[in-house]
Amino acid sequence: MSEYVIETVGLTKRFGEQIGVSSLDLHVPRGKIYGLMGRNGAGKTTSMRMVLNLVRPTKGTILLFGQEHKKQQARTYRRIGSLIETPGFYENLTGPENLRILARLRGEHRKDSIDRALDIVGLSDQNDKVFSNYSLGMKQRLGIAAAIMHEPELLILDEPINGLDPIGIHEIRNFFLALRKEKGTTIFISSHVLSELEQLADIIGVMHEGRLLEEVNMAELHKRNRQYVEFAVSNVNTAALLLERQFKTTDYTVCDDRTIRLYDDLDRRGEINRCFVESNLCVTEITVSEEKLEDYFSGLIGGRGIG
Amino acid sequence: MASLIYCELLKLKRSRMLLISFLGGVVTPMMMIVDAVKIHYSDPTTAITLESLYHSCSLYSMLLVGLIVSTVIAAYLFSREHTERTLKIILTIPVSKHSFIASKFIMLLMWVTALSAISWASMFVFALPYHAVFGIAEFDVAVAVRYLGEMLLGGVLLFLTISPFAFLALWTKGLVVPIIAATSITMGNAALTNEALGALYPWTASYLLVHGSIAQTGYSYALAAGLVAFVSILGFLASVVYFQQEDIK
Repeated sequence: MSEYVIETVGLTKRFGEQIGVSSLDLHVPRGKIYGLMGRNGAGKTTSMRMVLNLVRPTKGTILLFGQEHKKQQARTYRRIGSLIETPGFYENLTGPENLRILARLRGEHRKDSIDRALDIVGLSDQNDKVFSNYSLGMKQRLGIAAAIMHEPELLILDEPINGLDPIGIHEIRNFFLALRKEKGTTIFISSHVLSELEQLADIIGVMHEGRLLEEVNMAELHKRNRQYVEFAVSNVNTAALLLERQFKTTDYTVCDDRTIRLYDDLDRRGEINRCFVESNLCVTEITVSEEKLEDYFSGLIGGRGIG
Repeated sequence: MASLIYCELLKLKRSRMLLISFLGGVVTPMMMIVDAVKIHYSDPTTAITLESLYHSCSLYSMLLVGLIVSTVIAAYLFSREHTERTLKIILTIPVSKHSFIASKFIMLLMWVTALSAISWASMFVFALPYHAVFGIAEFDVAVAVRYLGEMLLGGVLLFLTISPFAFLALWTKGLVVPIIAATSITMGNAALTNEALGALYPWTASYLLVHGSIAQTGYSYALAAGLVAFVSILGFLASVVYFQQEDIK
């Protein structure tokens, strides 16, 4: 049995002259939650579509459960549940009717699978409402219900929390975590909400301009991330000058016109504060923190913001 | 395949297209009766026969109204998954693209022939009160039964010749282009129905084939049937090849 549920080798997609995804080598291990990060247009959705056989790769190989994805497609894809962007359903049908169509086409399902899935996503009391009358959040919930109703071994979810309210996000997050823990379900998820991935993912893959820049284990990332002390001051230039002259350190970054972040001499922050104050700087805030996923992400793609 | 077709039927629940297509099937016989009433009052000596009613009904169904209504149905069936963005959820079940397209064409065939049957039945139903009030000469059920076969065959040929419009719906992912194309083809039908060249125009030729009028045009049955088959196969192949190659957004 392969260690990876999804593995891609040199996966590439071109749209005419434009490169959507370039030489992607993904490794999604069994039983883990893999978070795919990237700005808009980074190639996350195209990669997921290729894995789901919705988009034909220009070149490269996709291995699902250890075998080439086009071999025994019916058997392989039955083990997968997916949600790609905003889900589409038949507008004139209710949620249960839509799920019944999918169950019928899938052929094999437990009798109570539809009710169970609707119950999990909190739609069990909306059985008479047609899909066209659903709110964005309800549509997303139905999409998640469709993805999980056949208890797949692998879930591929593109921006699954779009449109969900905070309580809904919390519920769905806990559900995904429970799925991984109790059933060993592998989850391949993309999200723009980095804090969400931070709370969910075991492994993070960062994509930028069609390329996978890094695959990193979250535990390793936390270990690697450095602690810092952040000063909110009235003049960052003077503060920088003082750090270099008085404390002989250049291991700092100026975040904006009132914040400076120091990575060295964290234990001397009291001393540094006194020095700032004695030099007529107004210090309004001192925070000791660790680099967040957002910092890591911005640093990796060149600090050009998050799409 | 049976599941796919069953699901196509399930998808029609609460669909307005069912009512629209039913009205489309009923409108031609209704027009025939309105025309018969007008003739009765303008020229009472003209005898209205069940044969003439069915003949006109079949003509207008195949060449004018039926072609447009069937194209609307084809466009609805083939563009629906794109409009409602359901392809990504259906194909990842997985459902093969070939089976999916095949089920759409089978559904279209069922719908178009059902529409022909509705036109045939409503022609008879509308003719009954007309016969009771004004009288229809040679009101014979055998005539109606003979036309049932003709109209059903007409429905099958109509299905074959609208396959290019199904492709247009797949390609443009909407109803507008196929309906414009069907309207243009209908104008060609109107121009060529009484012309010998109609045998070379597949949409008119299919009507001439059903009514055994090809010989009068001077062209062979084989040529007319070959042209109908050519257009039909072109539409099927284009649909299958295009859908197979298409990336699903």
